[in-house]
Amino acid sequence: MSYAYLFKYIIIGDTGVGKSCLLLQFTDKRFQPVHDLTIGVEFGARMITIDSKQIKLQIWDTAGQEAFRSITRSYYRGAAGALLVYDITRRETFNHLTTWLDDARQHSNSNMVIMLIGNKSDLESRREVKQEEGAAFAREHGLVFMETSAKTAANVEEAFINTAKEIYEKIQEGVFDINNEANGIKIGPQHSPTNPSLPGAGGSGGSQGSSCC
Amino acid sequence: MEYFKSGLKSVLGGPPPGTNPTGAETIEKLISRVSTSTLLEDRRDACRALRALSKKYRIEVGAQGIDVLKQVLELDKTDPEILSYCLDTLCNITSKEVFEEEMESDININVNIGEQFSEMFLKNPDNLPIILSYLEEYDFRVRWPAVKFLISLTTCRPKEVQDIILVSPMGMSKLMDLLAENREVIRNDAVLLLIHLTKSNANIQKIVAFENAFDKLLTIISEEGYTDGGIVVEDCLLLMLNLLHNNTSNINFFQEGSYIQKLAPMLILPDNLEEIGWSPQKVSNFHCVLHLLRTLVSPNNPAQIITSCQKTLRNANLLESLCNILMATGVPADILTETINSVGEVIRGNLTNQEYFANVLAPSSPPRPALVILIMSMVNEKQPFTLRCAVLYCFECFLYKNEIGQELVVQTLLPSSSGNTALTTGQLLCSGLFSSDSLSNWFSAVGLSHCLIENPAQKEQLLRVLLATNLGAQPVTLLSQCGVFLQHTSKLQAKLGILMLVSMWLAHCPAAVKIFVNVPGVMAFLTAQTSASEFDNNAELLQGLCAFIMGLCVLFNDNSVQNYSKENLSQLIEKRVGLETYCKKLNEISRHELYAKAAKQPQIKAKHSSELLLEFEFCKLFKSMEGLIIQALGVQRDLSNGLSELSLSDHENALLLQYKDLIRDQDKKLQDWQRKYNFLEKQYDEVKVQADELRQTNIQLIDQNTLLKAQLSTGASQVTNTVQTAPVEPPPTAVADDHVISLERRQSMENARLKQVEEELAEKTAELESYRRDQDDLLELLTAQDTRMCKFKDLLRQLDALPDEDDSSSDVSDNENESGP
Repeated sequence: MSYAYLFKYIIIGDTGVGKSCLLLQFTDKRFQPVHDLTIGVEFGARMITIDSKQIKLQIWDTAGQEAFRSITRSYYRGAAGALLVYDITRRETFNHLTTWLDDARQHSNSNMVIMLIGNKSDLESRREVKQEEGAAFAREHGLVFMETSAKTAANVEEAFINTAKEIYEKIQEGVFDINNEANGIKIGPQHSPTNPSLPGAGGSGGSQGSSCC
Repeated sequence: MEYFKSGLKSVLGGPPPGTNPTGAETIEKLISRVSTSTLLEDRRDACRALRALSKKYRIEVGAQGIDVLKQVLELDKTDPEILSYCLDTLCNITSKEVFEEEMESDININVNIGEQFSEMFLKNPDNLPIILSYLEEYDFRVRWPAVKFLISLTTCRPKEVQDIILVSPMGMSKLMDLLAENREVIRNDAVLLLIHLTKSNANIQKIVAFENAFDKLLTIISEEGYTDGGIVVEDCLLLMLNLLHNNTSNINFFQEGSYIQKLAPMLILPDNLEEIGWSPQKVSNFHCVLHLLRTLVSPNNPAQIITSCQKTLRNANLLESLCNILMATGVPADILTETINSVGEVIRGNLTNQEYFANVLAPSSPPRPALVILIMSMVNEKQPFTLRCAVLYCFECFLYKNEIGQELVVQTLLPSSSGNTALTTGQLLCSGLFSSDSLSNWFSAVGLSHCLIENPAQKEQLLRVLLATNLGAQPVTLLSQCGVFLQHTSKLQAKLGILMLVSMWLAHCPAAVKIFVNVPGVMAFLTAQTSASEFDNNAELLQGLCAFIMGLCVLFNDNSVQNYSKENLSQLIEKRVGLETYCKKLNEISRHELYAKAAKQPQIKAKHSSELLLEFEFCKLFKSMEGLIIQALGVQRDLSNGLSELSLSDHENALLLQYKDLIRDQDKKLQDWQRKYNFLEKQYDEVKVQADELRQTNIQLIDQNTLLKAQLSTGASQVTNTVQTAPVEPPPTAVADDHVISLERRQSMENARLKQVEEELAEKTAELESYRRDQDDLLELLTAQDTRMCKFKDLLRQLDALPDEDDSSSDVSDNENESGP
């Protein structure tokens, strides 16, 4: 149960794009085909390993509906990572990305890692948004991009883990102030007293988190 | 009063001598000063005065001042002092409590005055964010009153405040930052504020948990000395309770975030506890901790969450701590009761935890299992009622989904376990079952019945149990003794307890039915009760239960007893009781108020012992069996149909009605289908007519097409001369329709052109004709003139002689006639 780091994630995006399914697939390795509307926010957690370090992910799956938007905003500040999800079979969910991104950038801490996810890649026949479009959007806004399928589990692990890697790298670079829990990062209980590789308090360096894409 | 007057004098200047301004007038003056003064000092003084008067003249200040005070909050942002007066004043007028200073005459109308002013303030949703923004002001004079004002508002109008805070950006974050405040007064008040805010609002609860509330609260709790701490610890625990109660997401987070382990220090009792004793605050704190644990493993939570929390509680040694408290001395009774309940829910349905609990030994000599000690107090009349209830609940939890545990208890009763003189749970239960204390009877019966839930093997095992009733008499089986005791005891509670035990036993166990129906007098007793018509003191429950047991005897009867075979019993019910009465009696149970109460949750919740009549697991059994019994009685009826139609019993009547309904239903369906069929037929005809029409038009079109093709080919040969592009060649048959259409269009164009040309031709011919005619006329005229001229010439020649010149002039006129037109 012990972990080196704990990262807080949020999952955002329009309603019905498969946020809850992504979480369920990641935490329980299950797929739930019936759309059950998320009310407010739901919580899930899993342990992963990066660089042979145990990392605990705590994930808050938000409601996509407009009515819950103001509630969702309360979660941006304390999150280290965000999965911004759209549905490749519904163009409008892609069109709304800018709104989501603006919201996220406005309310979150500047270092939050955002991963853009085009979900439902198994529905190739109904595709409305090309993979290149997603990639272009991500490049333009400095996000990491990936197409996933919560149904077939394709790329789901990678999406969560790559986001964690990105955060982990930022910690190594000293970009994140890990002593401020409001950033959505916590050091594991047994690691906190001594860890030579960690930068001291207030080490909030340059904010140009280089995002490869 | 003098103090106020002197204070006011200094603020307002001395009043003209001889007049005493009323409170309302003074406040009016002060408010106009706040709103009109240009000097900050003046406004500040006026605000200070308003604050001083806001308790005594609450209505006046509130009614006139809210807008002005709000204005100050917006405009004088930089002066902490005036802000502090303002916020204090607002806090006073919106407070829910009634101040001592308030005029007694006002108190009657003041009942809801704080709430009304809160409502007024919150009516404009822009107001609250102003106050929230002052939480960021570090100055103590501003931040603290802002928090207090928010508490006032939230106490009066929680729903409105919650809604506004949820939509105001970073609203919750600002509140959560207050938990890190190093000035304890503010921090403690922030905890209070959050307690009010998180009440029954899952969204706020989740945000608060997300903002590291558990970390922060546990830090505060440990700083304050855990359960030895003051009321702040209690407040923190109450807030945690609010966050977790009925909030699956947060419980999951709590468990995942390893916070359960951090509760451990709170459950460890100090060694010298007997010397220091339990302070009232410690008791309160402890209650909260136990409540918190129970919230995590409450049977209302999803099974998955319960299991994982139970596992964590065991692994973090919290179960061990709880059991230690159970066995410790000097623990207050209510804490002990709650601990027993907590242990129950921590082990409920979790085999590992149940096993652990079974092995806990009490520090007595000789050491006895804790379970035995608990059961001892359950069947002890002198123990407090709630404690005995808790023990039963804990025992039930121990047996819940625990076949091994069930077997262990039953085994202690079996004859084979001779030689062991130690007191056992089984023995305790048996003695309790037939003791003179009806509550003990009830507890023991219910406890024993839980050993049999979904466990056919133990039902059979328990049948082997023999009791030695009187010295020298034949030992009787436990079940027979139950049947006998049932008829002898006069206490309702005892009877119901035994009946519930018997019903659990008989269900799915024909062997038990066989023994039970043979108990002397028992069937007579049941029949008498079922057909009785008294309705007092919950007698309907007794009647209902007796009916239920009779039903079970029918349902699980293997026909091995001649007199009480399936058929005999159902005839007994029908003839002696009547099916209608029987069903009515059965229904009485589920309609009873206590049934609803008991079926709600596994825990036994009763304020008084007289309320303990039905029990949760029995309600479950009843619910699943009720329908089967009625069905069985009905089916039985069909097998022995020796009755004529005239003597239809109520049940048959019901059945008949049921069939009638069925037929009516089917009839209706049939009609529906007929109607649908007619409709479809009509539609079909229409479609057919349409299809014919279409076919005809199709033929016409084909004809037209061939016609046009023909025309095209002929037209083409005609038009080739005039049209260069020559679209005339007959189109190949396989060309697409649109090609034909284009060709047709072209052809019709050519046709039109042809027609035009023809018309032109006809016109021209007509013209030519008329010209020819003209020419003929002219020629005739010419010949006529010629002849006349010849005549004239002859005449002239006869008169004179000039032939040459006349010839030439006649030629000229000829020419003119031909080229004229």
